[in-house]
Amino acid sequence: MSTGAKKRILREYAECQNDPLPGVKINFDEQNMTKWEILMDGPDQSVYAGGHYKLEINFPNEYPFKPPVVSFKTKIYHPNVSNDDKGSMCLGLLRPEEWKPPNKVISVLHLIRNLLIEPNPDDAIELSIANDYKTNRAEFDKTAKDWVKRYAK
Amino acid sequence: MTASRIDIFTVRFPDPSSPSFNDDQRWITLPTNVSFRYPITDNIQTLSSKNAGYDASGILYVPELRSDECKKSEEAYVPANATRSRNLPSSNPGIPLIALAPWFSPTCMKEYLESVRKDSVRVLFVFQPGTDRAMPPPMADASWGLGDGGAWKSANDFPTYAINAASGSVILAQMTLYSGNLSEVPHGKDLSSALDSTDYVRLWARVETDAVNRLPSLWVFLIIVLAILMTIIAATSLTMHCVQRRRREELRRRVINGEINLEAVGVKRLTVPREFLEKLPSYTYSAPAHDSENTMPQLPPSVLLASSTGPDSQPTAGARPWMRSSSAPSLSRADGQSPAFSQPSCPICLDDFESNETQVRELPCRHIFHPDCIDPYLLNNSSLCPICKESVMPSGYCPTRITNVMVRRERMLRRAGNRRPSGPASSLGPLSSPIHLGLLGSRIGGVISGRRVFSAPDHRRARSDEEMAISNAAPLSTDAAPGTATSSGATPLSARSDPGCGEIDHEERRERARERALTLLGNRHVPSGDEDEEASGPWWRRGLRKVFPGFR
Ligand SMILES: [Zn+2]
Ligand SMILES: [Zn+2]
Repeated sequence: MSTGAKKRILREYAECQNDPLPGVKINFDEQNMTKWEILMDGPDQSVYAGGHYKLEINFPNEYPFKPPVVSFKTKIYHPNVSNDDKGSMCLGLLRPEEWKPPNKVISVLHLIRNLLIEPNPDDAIELSIANDYKTNRAEFDKTAKDWVKRYAK
Repeated sequence: MTASRIDIFTVRFPDPSSPSFNDDQRWITLPTNVSFRYPITDNIQTLSSKNAGYDASGILYVPELRSDECKKSEEAYVPANATRSRNLPSSNPGIPLIALAPWFSPTCMKEYLESVRKDSVRVLFVFQPGTDRAMPPPMADASWGLGDGGAWKSANDFPTYAINAASGSVILAQMTLYSGNLSEVPHGKDLSSALDSTDYVRLWARVETDAVNRLPSLWVFLIIVLAILMTIIAATSLTMHCVQRRRREELRRRVINGEINLEAVGVKRLTVPREFLEKLPSYTYSAPAHDSENTMPQLPPSVLLASSTGPDSQPTAGARPWMRSSSAPSLSRADGQSPAFSQPSCPICLDDFESNETQVRELPCRHIFHPDCIDPYLLNNSSLCPICKESVMPSGYCPTRITNVMVRRERMLRRAGNRRPSGPASSLGPLSSPIHLGLLGSRIGGVISGRRVFSAPDHRRARSDEEMAISNAAPLSTDAAPGTATSSGATPLSARSDPGCGEIDHEERRERARERALTLLGNRHVPSGDEDEEASGPWWRRGLRKVFPGFR
């Protein structure tokens, strides 16, 4: 990773610290700055309220030309998060072909937080969950809340 | 395994019990002029091919019957003097025997069989006396039945051949002449001067099975099959080479005509040669005029591009976003000033440009960067502007050899594009404008739903506000202004039309997964990815790809 990229990551971290998102905490390791550990609280207005989610943001060597890679370490019932041990997200600006260098981690964090508030079933990675969300909202909410209790406390 | 030829001839051999017996003198064929010779080259019916795998030969004799009734019946078919076991050397363990028996009744035939099994003959000849057909009936014929369902054949450990009645009686007739002492045989007087008087002179039969003849023919057959296969392979290979060559030329033509940008459609990662990069304008940044700063102060370049360079989003440009329309820069210039100057900071490192101080590099799309930030990327990773994905290289620039992999990928992307849109438009091809716009339409739809997500955050502080504007607007702008040669033309077709990370058909998914993996791995590993791919994989795969260039 180039020094320029490192400089940029440091700069972005500083910006995130100066302007923290509510309920978002970043564990930053100077030694390994390409891997950020994020602790995100489920937004109050969402079904994930009360849950505490651990995420990882990995910066590829080509950052900022390539998007950071986001993965949920805590299991979550969400149409846009893969329901496997990777917990990967793949939508919007996180797509390599849609990522642009001026995009920033903070917008990634915003994206994630907003997706917790309002999932995007049309761009889902878990189609069955998306279907649940669209057609049987009550059931979706119930399962999501149940998963919060089971995995995200 | 069938008998192809039977030769009857006359041999003389010494009595094994005589003192003059020695191996060198055994089995001497008598000259034709003084002996019997009788070839049977056709009309041989193989009744049983048991142990018939080799050419067999031996002294001809008529086996003994057991019952008196059969002996009586036999008289009608076998002359009294025909060679019998008793006319052969008594101590004869080493003497090969071939039996000849008339098939006149099943009962007596069974007795013949008993006898020949005891004698351990090498071959049994049979004939049906009194019949005048040239070819004896085939094995399945009822006349060969002994009431045991054909079990007699497998009970023998020797092959059985049927000859016709005429040959049978000729041989038997001759046999009577060659059963006694040397002096009694035809020309015996002449022969006895040269031979020991105790020598035997008997008829000898040799059976040639076509096992020997078939062996070479089997090889010939194999060679023919092989040759046909090779011809097919060669023809296929040649055809595929020709087809592939035509496709390569076609693709090259399209690239040179500017119909397609290999990198923009996701076929081949290109990089910018250093000499070309050095020709790109680089100058000292100077702050934009005040009015523009007032109207759209901190918006990121892509937003500016999207909103200010309206002409770019016209369908013509949208339809062929991979084409660097030569009018684009002049259009953006037309609104008074260069939009490049509205970019206050470097999108790569996010540092602000210092007016009259910072050296910037301007790409043909008018985006500006620190040379230190953009140059290595263009040299090593991509020839597309990282912001708008417009090619830095002039249209029609065909950098490398067009490889089969590139052809394949381009075709696949085109097919994927063809498959996606519904309706008659699909026949126009993925790159024609209606579909393109259709895809964009659906994309915009998706983006609009995404927009809610992006517009949700409330901007609390002024400082963060502008940051937010940059960070949030950028992804939006790329999608919301699709005609700007931004999102659509830039992303590979398959990726663009893919609604999620799932629901793609298998082949495409594999290709995409690989594509994505390559992307995530980083371009540095695939500076010239296609050639690498061509030479990758196990040896057999590489070989197959060489022979059949279309092969994946
Ligand atoms: Zn820079
Ligand atoms: Zn650009």
